[in-house]
Amino acid sequence: MANISLTLFRKRLKNPVMNASGTLGYSSEIEVLWGVETLGAYVTKGLSLKPHHGNPTPRVWDERYGMVNSIGLQNVGLERFFTEHFPFFRKKKTPVIINFFGFHEKEYIECARRIKPDRLIVALEMNLSCPNIKAGGIIFGKDPKMVYEIVKNVKDVTKIPLIAKLTPEVKNITEIARAAFEAGADGLTLINTMPAAIVDVKRKRIPIKGGLSGPVLKPIALRAVYECSKVVPIPIIGVGGIMNADDAVSFLMAGASAVQIGTATFVDPYTIPKVIGGIGRYLDKNGYHSMREVVGAIHD
Amino acid sequence: MDDIEAKIIENRNIVSNYFLLKLKLSKPMGEIKPGQFVMLKVPDGDVFLRRPFSIYDYSKGTITIMYRVVGKGTQSLCRAGKKEKVFVLGPLGNGFTLIKRDAYVVIAGGIGIAGVHLLIKSLNDKARVFYGTSGKEELAAIKDIMSFNPVIATLDGSQGFKGDVIALFQKQVKSFGGKDMEIFTCGPEGMVKSLRKSMGKLKIPCQVLVEERMACGLGLCFGCVVKTVDEKEPYKRTCKEGPVFDLWQISL
Repeated sequence: MANISLTLFRKRLKNPVMNASGTLGYSSEIEVLWGVETLGAYVTKGLSLKPHHGNPTPRVWDERYGMVNSIGLQNVGLERFFTEHFPFFRKKKTPVIINFFGFHEKEYIECARRIKPDRLIVALEMNLSCPNIKAGGIIFGKDPKMVYEIVKNVKDVTKIPLIAKLTPEVKNITEIARAAFEAGADGLTLINTMPAAIVDVKRKRIPIKGGLSGPVLKPIALRAVYECSKVVPIPIIGVGGIMNADDAVSFLMAGASAVQIGTATFVDPYTIPKVIGGIGRYLDKNGYHSMREVVGAIHD
Repeated sequence: MDDIEAKIIENRNIVSNYFLLKLKLSKPMGEIKPGQFVMLKVPDGDVFLRRPFSIYDYSKGTITIMYRVVGKGTQSLCRAGKKEKVFVLGPLGNGFTLIKRDAYVVIAGGIGIAGVHLLIKSLNDKARVFYGTSGKEELAAIKDIMSFNPVIATLDGSQGFKGDVIALFQKQVKSFGGKDMEIFTCGPEGMVKSLRKSMGKLKIPCQVLVEERMACGLGLCFGCVVKTVDEKEPYKRTCKEGPVFDLWQISL
């Protein structure tokens, strides 16, 4: 059997599959079906300095080839996460990526400052799809200057590797990727959900505005991964619409070092273990021995 | 709890837009408590997410769901034929809690019967059942529990009490004469609101089974929340902390 382990930010991961932030709860919820230690790394729900209550319902909506969500970043806050949930990962010896967000630059900085390096923490993943209140609500991740600024300032206060998670709703994602890299980002997660809305024709209303995820996003995410991998020399984690091992392999070939699975878990809660098995079988069947031979294997 | 492949053995229209779906499971489901639910993958490529349904009934190797056609998922489900394959994830959520009481009352409105049917059966004749619906035709949905002598309210007065089921309950609540009682309820939000209002300061213990749009059913996505009086953490997951909540703890 091919070896699907990899080294990411100097940590050894047993496979390249993670959950996408916010799609596996605090992780203990999935234990009834499979163990969190199955993952290459567990990515936390988006955490903030203070707890967030989240949005009123409806928060989720089926959209044929995907879904729209508007959870509103409900979370228990950094402090409670580390006291209530983190010990579980220690017990399970599961590598963790801490996803965090803020609405002011100083919130991001303070989050990063408070997270102490730990053997289990692979990286911090900063969600740059939040509005910058001080700049009138423009999304941090939409402006290369703002991205450079915030990544640099966060990077200054932490020794933990820093991943920038980017929004696809930009003119040129390679420009944003480059700004993050130049500011010192150690990796990129591509891509976040796409802003979307649902129309209820009968009631003439918009029941939900939120982020679109699911297979409808896959080609968009693949293009972002492929193009960014050409312009930045840091690892990319590919995410967007992966439903099976073939999808995951396509991200690896496009240049992603690892992948995240989100919405697919809601459709089939065993997607993650199935994809992990499937990647190994793909490598075997095609005569690959390691991940390195697959990542970025596409040639023009 | 597991994700189980199942085959449709019956998908029958009961009355108006009410359907009964019986599934033969490829392996046994874990122990089922009244009030629990399943996430069903509808056999239609255009329906992306699973849909939550209360477990209406079960026997060895089968489960039954009663549903009303209300949207895209149920529209597609009602067209599914015998022998079609589906996946059912369950049993999920916390069901009703049976506390020893002098009297039990079950109040259901419309398709809300689907959520309490199993409870009524398990309470056998120990519960007084109130059922409200728009007209007598829809009573076909409760044919199964007629032997428990439910007290019936119809909005059009075509059978039983004319008016809503809460008005009917309010008229009869005195007959329980200050007994130590527990109410179980499931129905439209308006009905649950009116039930709470009708009790005023009485605050009789009441468990309500709520319905919310869901994505995962497992507590992973925080999509199906209900607002509660907990100021620190108001939004609780219907699928994980529910779907049965204390009526006096939720915000309506």
